Amino acid sequence: MTNLNVKYLGLDLKNPIIAGSCGLTNSIENLKAIEEAGAGAVILKSIFEEEIYLEFAHEFSKLGPMDNNLEFLDYYDYQIKKDNLKRYLSLIQEAKKELSIPVIASINCVTAHEWGFFAKKVEDAGADAIELNMFILPSNLSQTSQDNESMYFDIVSRIASKIKIPISLKISSYFSNLGGVIRDLSFTEIKGLVLFNKFYSPDVDINQQKIVGSDVLSHNNDYKLSLRWIGMMANRVNSDLSASTGIHDWQTVVKMLLVGATTVQVVSALYQDGFPVLTDMIQNLEKWMQENGYTSIADFKGKLSMDNSTNPAEFERVQFMRTFEEYK
Amino acid sequence: MSLTPEYLKEERNQEWRAELRSKTKNKDRMLISRVKMPELAPEIRVKYQDREVNMGLEPSQAQTEATRCMDCANPTCIEGCPVNINIPKFIKYIEKGEILNAAATLKETNALPAVCGRVCPQEKQCEARCFYVDKLDKQAVAIGHLERFAADFERNSGVSNIPETAKPNGIKVATVGSGPASLSFAGDMVKYGYDVTVFEALHEIGGVLKYGIPEFRLPNSVVDFELENLRKMGVKFETNYIVGRTSSFDDLKAEGYKGFFVASGAGLPRFMEIPGENYNGILSSNEYLTRVNLMGASTSNTDTPVLRGKNVAVIGGGNTAMDSVRTALRLGADRAIIVYRRSEAEMPARIEEVHHAKEEGVEFMTLCNPLEYFADEKGRVKRMKLNRMGLGEPDASGRRRPMPIDGSEFELDVDLVVVAVGVSPNPLVPSCLPDLKVTKWGTIVVDEEKMQSSIPDMFAGGDIVRGGATVILAMGDGRKAAENMHKYLQNID
Repeated sequence: MTNLNVKYLGLDLKNPIIAGSCGLTNSIENLKAIEEAGAGAVILKSIFEEEIYLEFAHEFSKLGPMDNNLEFLDYYDYQIKKDNLKRYLSLIQEAKKELSIPVIASINCVTAHEWGFFAKKVEDAGADAIELNMFILPSNLSQTSQDNESMYFDIVSRIASKIKIPISLKISSYFSNLGGVIRDLSFTEIKGLVLFNKFYSPDVDINQQKIVGSDVLSHNNDYKLSLRWIGMMANRVNSDLSASTGIHDWQTVVKMLLVGATTVQVVSALYQDGFPVLTDMIQNLEKWMQENGYTSIADFKGKLSMDNSTNPAEFERVQFMRTFEEYK
Repeated sequence: MSLTPEYLKEERNQEWRAELRSKTKNKDRMLISRVKMPELAPEIRVKYQDREVNMGLEPSQAQTEATRCMDCANPTCIEGCPVNINIPKFIKYIEKGEILNAAATLKETNALPAVCGRVCPQEKQCEARCFYVDKLDKQAVAIGHLERFAADFERNSGVSNIPETAKPNGIKVATVGSGPASLSFAGDMVKYGYDVTVFEALHEIGGVLKYGIPEFRLPNSVVDFELENLRKMGVKFETNYIVGRTSSFDDLKAEGYKGFFVASGAGLPRFMEIPGENYNGILSSNEYLTRVNLMGASTSNTDTPVLRGKNVAVIGGGNTAMDSVRTALRLGADRAIIVYRRSEAEMPARIEEVHHAKEEGVEFMTLCNPLEYFADEKGRVKRMKLNRMGLGEPDASGRRRPMPIDGSEFELDVDLVVVAVGVSPNPLVPSCLPDLKVTKWGTIVVDEEKMQSSIPDMFAGGDIVRGGATVILAMGDGRKAAENMHKYLQNID
């Protein structure tokens, strides 16, 4: 019998496929459908500080009779934040009541202080774990790489001091010494690292000669950065690794597990193919395991990680150079 | 009363106005400097909660200031007034020395001239549209000071001019709340001949004028005098009466009320929801000011005292924050500090209030934002942690957005914190009327031209529509609602 169970962040998941944090994980109807489709766990939509400011701007733009009334609106972002957080806590409570799979809350952090306070409320509302989405683009020219890294350790330490439920950390790949940072972060209070989050990317419209947004969703070929780093860091870290960005089909799920991921997070495929894509991934993962004689995920998890590889250079740049040499 | 261009022209062409204009040349009028409002010395006034800071103009000062007004053919100042006061006319009466006529002119469209002369932000309204500002880049005629002067003159003269009212039509209308929007509505409706009753939940009439504005800015006696004028005009007042609880709208309809004006205000305090905000010694500006202004908490023999602090921080940068911090000083604080997350340039408070606060010794800790409060072993706040802020790109309000500066946290000893970060609309009336449309802000949705709500016989204005209005905007709503309810009731009958 094939067993897909995994332990992620100390939580028991019936399979390693998680519906990642996105706009679709923001309603109880969708969450139920995601569970029905077979997801091992669900990560609720992140609360973004930036979103609160956008909503503030939107409200301001339709003031009507409230113009000339700065005193009422001066701190209105706090009101919006309070309302959003209240709705979020209700969603957690309802999700916990309606779902049997683990419910992981997600907080987008830029500053630690008030989000630490909020993390406690998330815990009290019943969330099984919290994913901290460190959505920080290191574009501040006056900051050193050390400053940038310290921010992560500071936020983790502060939030961890407020709560007892497990914490995972979703990061970007923008570090000058990524491997070292991943390793060091894994030795903090966190139980899991999610590699990597996907930033909004600007593009250029050459006809209108202006900056425009590029695709918001990932493509099925976008998984390779995560694959490389999970493969390189598996067994060298003190936390679970979860793969994110570009997980569109069951084959990519298998690849990620083979290089050492404990779980995978699916988002863009949910938008493109709907929730049944989860069922398809689970069924085909099981089939592949049966065909390859595996009875549990542990049988093959990390089999192709750099640590287990007979040729670690496969994960490194030399391979890239060799490939191009063949074209000579 | 509608001030059409034809009507204004006709009035301006009256002999006495033309004579007055010819008496002083415009270039001489322009040479006069704007009057400075006499003020009680800061070191004295800071000892008294009930002594007014602005002392009012002397008659000669008022007359000189009135002479600055050029009685423009196109008086743009009126366009800046939400209640459409016939500004040139009342000012010219002052120049002429007929102050009671000036006061009567004010009352044609304004039920509370002594109040508006004290608390309206004229610099953003009528005075901002003055010819001196518009065309000459000079200081505006001190319309607000003159309004106050005329209203005070009448009150002190013992002669109270009661505006004419139409013959009673026997139609009962009710207004919920007794703040400026309600009083303005009541004044106009009683002039139309309606039987008007004002229902007030508290034990005192006046709403925010009484509980929200300290006596050093607006003495209760001034409000009471204007309320008495409304009583004399026939307006009835019911205190300790909560519409929606004491009786329902249906009960009032059964008693014969045909129209309702809801002006129940924004009495729900907001907090920042930061750690430690529930400790003793941290209270809303609503509670703080209501206890002091309405419940006598500043006196020693009160049954309802308010916590006093030596190191008081007031969070916010609006007029309510200024009122709170200046009250704290008067109640004996050694340090009274405004903590505001933007810079002084972005503060919503009137410049005059900021200036007075500084004169009195209030400290301004701008570009700082509270993060957390800490308490002593008894649960009383003793310290707060703050972040220093920088200013980013302009946000939706057009002001630069406050951004926390990493690693800039610091602590401050405090034993009283007053949170003045805004208020939300009172939810009682909307909650008992399922058919009443409200916004996500909790404000009542109205047709902006008519102030009519989704329930046809219900009109609304003031803070319950705007979320938190200035006194004069609320009064403008009351006037507009009265005009349109009058039309509505005449048409259905």
